[in-house]
Amino acid sequence: MVPLSWYLILSFMMIGLGAYGMMVKRNLIRILIGAEIMGNGVNIALVAMALYSPSFSFTAQGLIILVISVAAAHTALALVLMLMYNRRYHTVDLGRTIDTEGP
Amino acid sequence: MQPVEVQPFLDAIEPIEFLLIAAIVLVLAYLALEYKEIVYAAFFFGFMASFVAGLFLLLEAPFVAGMQIAVYTGGISALIIFAVLLLPRAQDSSLESFTSPQKRRVGFLIAAMVMVLSGLLAFIFPWAESFDVGFVEISNDLGALAAWLWTEHGIYVQMIALIMVTSLVGAIALLKLDRAEQLASVQGEFGVEADIELEETEDAVEGNAAMDETEEVDD
Repeated sequence: MVPLSWYLILSFMMIGLGAYGMMVKRNLIRILIGAEIMGNGVNIALVAMALYSPSFSFTAQGLIILVISVAAAHTALALVLMLMYNRRYHTVDLGRTIDTEGP
Repeated sequence: MQPVEVQPFLDAIEPIEFLLIAAIVLVLAYLALEYKEIVYAAFFFGFMASFVAGLFLLLEAPFVAGMQIAVYTGGISALIIFAVLLLPRAQDSSLESFTSPQKRRVGFLIAAMVMVLSGLLAFIFPWAESFDVGFVEISNDLGALAAWLWTEHGIYVQMIALIMVTSLVGAIALLKLDRAEQLASVQGEFGVEADIELEETEDAVEGNAAMDETEEVDD
């Protein structure tokens, strides 16, 4: 059986990779992909803990079902916000200096 | 003839399966972040989500694996591809990372800190031993899971459903609001000139009103 720490290390590596994407990238879509990778890492940690701790089994599975459902909703919201950002500033570059008074 | 025991063989190959899937997941996640063509990056993200579902199968959670494939591979990666198609500017490869090396270094440092600290925590903290084992039996029984979700914790499911509906309706409302604002002012080629014209006309109207007031006072 694979030790729990292996799964946790994988999940934390994914969280780190997602954080790297969110910190370093300027493209809004890459930032969204980074956030999703972080979410996947968290899900792996939750499922691994569910397998290794019987007391957490149902809680984790229920939690992950809800987390995955909410992830779909927040991605849709992020897509709309990206469209609005693109319409307003004519770019998807988050590193661009934004005029706080708008265009 | 003695029956062949499969279980020891399965136990032996499980770490190999894990290492293989983990390596593929990490490579695909890296490609999703770093591949130059963003459409392919979105595809790599979809493949990565499928392999994460493979990890869930390895963890004996087939229902979660099914949901992962349905929502992440089927839904979210399709949404990201739609975003790429709707935003042609997103395909500009000059947006890949910050030009300032200092900002890039800080981002890399924070991500590395997250990775190293949490990796240390995974190794040092006795996770598996810290759980209370004698509470509920482990189960992959979907009926029991559904009963647990809907009878004991139904209110949370309804709350999450409400949050999802609110976020989706909010998203549609935001888009409609933005469209309405644009339609109100779209006269010039970029809409910006139209705003300026609008402001000028408003100023003119205010100026006329002020003149009328002074005339009334004079009278």
